[in-house]
Amino acid sequence: MLAYFIRRVIATVPVMLLVALFVFSLLYIAPGDPAAIIAGDQASPDDVERIRASLGLDRPFLVRFLEWLWHVLHGDLGTSIFTNLPVSHMIAQRIEPTVSLMSLTLILSLTFAIPMGVIAAWKHGTLLDRAVMTLAVFGYSTPVFVVGYLLAYFFALQLDWLPVQGFTSITEGLGPFLRNLILPAVALGLIYMALIARITRATMLDVLSQDYVRTAKAKGVAQKGILFVHALKNAAVPIITIVGIGFATLIGGSVVTESVFAIPGLGRLTVDAILRRDYPVIQGVVLLFSFIYVVVNLAVDLLYTVFDPRIRY
Amino acid sequence: MSAFTADAVDGHAVAPALPNVLPEPKKRGKVMGFINRHPTIVLGGTVVGLMILMAIFAPLLFTVDPTALAPAKRTRPPSEIYWFGTDMLGRDVYSRVIYGSRVSLTVGFSVAAVASIIGTFLGLVAGFTRWMDTIVMRIMDGMMSIPGILLAIALMALTRASMKNVIIALAAAEFPRVCRLVRGVVLSLREQPYVEAAIASGTRVPVIIWRHILPNTLAPLMVQATFICASAMIGEATLSFLGAGTPPIIPSWGNIMAEGRALWQVKPYIVFFPAIFLCLTVLAVNMLGDGLRDALDPRLAKRL
Amino acid sequence: MRRRDFLRTTTGAATLLAAPRISRAADSKVLRFVPQANLANLDPIWTTQYVVRNGSLLIWDTLYGVNSKLEPQPQMVESHEVTPDFKTWTFRLRTGLKFHDNEPVLAKDAVASINRWMPRDNSMGVNIKQQLDALDVVDDRTFRFRFKSPYPRLLFALGKSSTPCLFIMPERIASTDPFKQISDYVGSGPMKFKKDEWVPGSSAAFERFAGYEPRAEKASWLAGGKRINFDRIEWQILPDASTASGALQNGEVDWWETPSPDLVPLLKKTPGVMVDIADPLGNIGSFRINHLHPPFNDVRVRRAVQMALSQEDYMRAVVGDDESLWKGLPGFFTPDTPLYTEQGGEPLKGPRKYAEARKLLAEAGYKNEPIILLVATDVAITKAQGDVTADLLKQIGMNVQYTALDWGTVGQRRASKEPPDKGGWHIFHTWHAGADCVSPAPYTALDASGSTAWFGWPKSDAVESKIVEWYQASDPAAEKKIIGDLNQAAMEDVVYIPTGFFKFYQAWRKNLSGIVDAPFPVFWDVSKT
Repeated sequence: MLAYFIRRVIATVPVMLLVALFVFSLLYIAPGDPAAIIAGDQASPDDVERIRASLGLDRPFLVRFLEWLWHVLHGDLGTSIFTNLPVSHMIAQRIEPTVSLMSLTLILSLTFAIPMGVIAAWKHGTLLDRAVMTLAVFGYSTPVFVVGYLLAYFFALQLDWLPVQGFTSITEGLGPFLRNLILPAVALGLIYMALIARITRATMLDVLSQDYVRTAKAKGVAQKGILFVHALKNAAVPIITIVGIGFATLIGGSVVTESVFAIPGLGRLTVDAILRRDYPVIQGVVLLFSFIYVVVNLAVDLLYTVFDPRIRY
Repeated sequence: MSAFTADAVDGHAVAPALPNVLPEPKKRGKVMGFINRHPTIVLGGTVVGLMILMAIFAPLLFTVDPTALAPAKRTRPPSEIYWFGTDMLGRDVYSRVIYGSRVSLTVGFSVAAVASIIGTFLGLVAGFTRWMDTIVMRIMDGMMSIPGILLAIALMALTRASMKNVIIALAAAEFPRVCRLVRGVVLSLREQPYVEAAIASGTRVPVIIWRHILPNTLAPLMVQATFICASAMIGEATLSFLGAGTPPIIPSWGNIMAEGRALWQVKPYIVFFPAIFLCLTVLAVNMLGDGLRDALDPRLAKRL
Repeated sequence: MRRRDFLRTTTGAATLLAAPRISRAADSKVLRFVPQANLANLDPIWTTQYVVRNGSLLIWDTLYGVNSKLEPQPQMVESHEVTPDFKTWTFRLRTGLKFHDNEPVLAKDAVASINRWMPRDNSMGVNIKQQLDALDVVDDRTFRFRFKSPYPRLLFALGKSSTPCLFIMPERIASTDPFKQISDYVGSGPMKFKKDEWVPGSSAAFERFAGYEPRAEKASWLAGGKRINFDRIEWQILPDASTASGALQNGEVDWWETPSPDLVPLLKKTPGVMVDIADPLGNIGSFRINHLHPPFNDVRVRRAVQMALSQEDYMRAVVGDDESLWKGLPGFFTPDTPLYTEQGGEPLKGPRKYAEARKLLAEAGYKNEPIILLVATDVAITKAQGDVTADLLKQIGMNVQYTALDWGTVGQRRASKEPPDKGGWHIFHTWHAGADCVSPAPYTALDASGSTAWFGWPKSDAVESKIVEWYQASDPAAEKKIIGDLNQAAMEDVVYIPTGFFKFYQAWRKNLSGIVDAPFPVFWDVSKT
């Protein structure tokens, strides 16, 4: 087991290197130029040239890549071209809102979607089942920002129950934290919930039709509740798989959600940096997101062993 | 003769014909039978078909030039003349939504097609060539480690905004998964006795692919392609929302919504109408995918 | 990294479960402001973005400052002397001026700041540097300019609001190369910048500096006493207009610099929100043409576009249905200012001449070559103008290639003098603050010196000679005559095409008082109940 774990971790290294090379080389051949943006509207072409030279954007590719890699391994992700702040500092500032949003979304999604899927499986074939499944399909057919604006319109502007935008750290109280994050978490989580509900239902149905379950039922073993717990444990593997894969959707969706609800997180930072061609920030953030995703999937692989004793590496 | 007398034919006893006590089975027409068994395919397919027709016959549907400006008539609410109202430059929203279907549908189908083709090719290569397998899968893993939308935005940031580039960017985010899928099929089939036999008897690889592998990938590939199509349509809308999508001069549901988002509180119809059309189409495509999955692989029917 | 944060968050939740929170917006000593754009960096000499200048006005002080009549008034300077030939200027700083690190402001700091500013200010600073014989420190509080030829407008240069403004920084910071960003924001102004709380793209915070000594006079734009009534000013960057509007309606922010014109009626109806014109000097929209390459190097082609261009279309697209927000502008100078003139503006007035334009194009030999139109789609004003231009050019039979880019890439591409099909351009859009177009002095865009002019590189000897004449004009009457001729010359040679004059609104909560209209947000004398 430990050997597998170590092997898996080592296997992520070439993947991360490829990601790094990929990200770096893409941006190097980009036609955009940050120098002119920095110079501003009233600047002359000469100014732009001088700024470009002062930013060091005219050195060869391999040199810049190796240099950058060396710095990254020492925890230095470079300095932002526009703000002159270290990229790691900018990321550190914005990581809390994004993590809070994703954590809340994850908790909400799992809390609601799994029971929904279980109920749908239990009442398989009835109206409730169809209703849940239809809701789920609606869930991943609507773009996140449409859902976001609708929620903001009704709950924030019309009913005035919740604020329209912003983020409050949990250190300032759980109440305010939730008030700011509940709408974005719901908007972001809808797709996730849809996916999880559906896979829960599907695997539950599968498990419930297995022979051993039918035998247990026939023998009158325990009540439906305990039966479901047993069934759920066996259904856990596909559910966790979807949670892992769907995490990428969460990261992608957070970009839009943070934009609609003005949450100062990593998603917005990335989009702003990309559209402005702030190279060091883009590199740092995409690398970070990929790293997180890889770690999440590693965790998923390990969680398999907890839930399914048959899986042993 | 009694009903229970055994008749003799060629010396063998033949059971007497039993009276028919069962009710006549209802004679369902083939079409109705199909609809009953696969409601999602029919519903999804119909809606998608309608959208395609709408896109093709756009000029005939009481539309005007979707790019014609009339700033003096900007942001008018829906009325008899302007069925869906006008946007912030005075353009007719109804016409823009109808013509917008062309872009959104084209992007959706193209991304599905391109991702499927590239993914299949790479999956076949990875499945058949052992040494390419590691390299290709590592690269695919790398690409899949970058969240799709971020990859698409990054690619869009490198180039000019154009429909072609949006298609390439979105396809790039999707083909790794197709590759993995096809590779999975190839790997599982390679072990099958009939495939081993074919290889042993000297059948060339392309023929094996054509005769044995591809037919088996068709079903999951079709299902996957429909989901990619749905995801690409939403992806196009998201890219436009973030400012990295198709050029605004060609209306697409995504960029009509993006342009209208600043006014959404006061003139919600600019965002509302394309949103409905987009949701409906994506819903239909998803249902189509679900139905296809149920129909093509009964094993999966109970699952997703 | 993620797990640690997650653990920290959960333990935080456990311990602070019921901590009550005082609503920050209700705190009358904190002002929450939504600026026009993201504050990505804070060096007002290195970049000419308006939003950086607006933030810098809080952090740094200036030697002189223009008042609401654009007359330069002494700010950090106590007194000055000038020789009758305008060649020698001596300035004496006020006493008691301090930087945020409590060091006194000395003449050497002023001189270093001037030296950093001059090479970056294309409208006046560069000329000053060329004509300067010497700029010396005389003593701790005195410094002197010695010019080779008379420079009567020095005070305006020192106090103007057009970017870059001459902000006074400590000598050690001001000695940074003007083409490199500063990273130290120790300033001379009424507020300190809280660098540790700065989240670029999201928020920035300023804290009142107790050691600032405002002048005794009443404040008026950049002149007079800059009295701040807040302990903190927070800038919230909300790029999504509906989100910003919602935040203002809910009281989550207090002041929105640039509410989008379509949301203004909604804000006007919201109880608790005030809306008013931000700056009576308004803005001038710009249709900027590339004079270097065909077909627009032929004045006939430029005139063809000029005679067909409908300023009404542009203005309605930019500011919406409110008629009071825009005016046609058959000229280059800001309406309702002393030098405003319509002389020579006939081509932009009256019914538009599409047929004649097409004829003129044919006569000039235009054969359907593609026209590269750069449109920054992420800025509402430029996108609206770009869309109207695409339509206009189509109507007069030109082959438009609408190139959708972001503001940054437009900024890069417009600097290219290459032929349009090799990475250059034909047309792009922007706008100029009215305050920057009141006279030829701050008016970078009017310069028609050809290859050394602003992007577009218009060349018009007539315009150039008129500008030189104006600098030497002796009295207001002579000035007006020269400006009239200048306007006509610029119209005839189509230096650029103004797309109209328009004003922005600004919106704020009713519990704020003291908001004035100005080309930039004025934070002094504003208070909150």
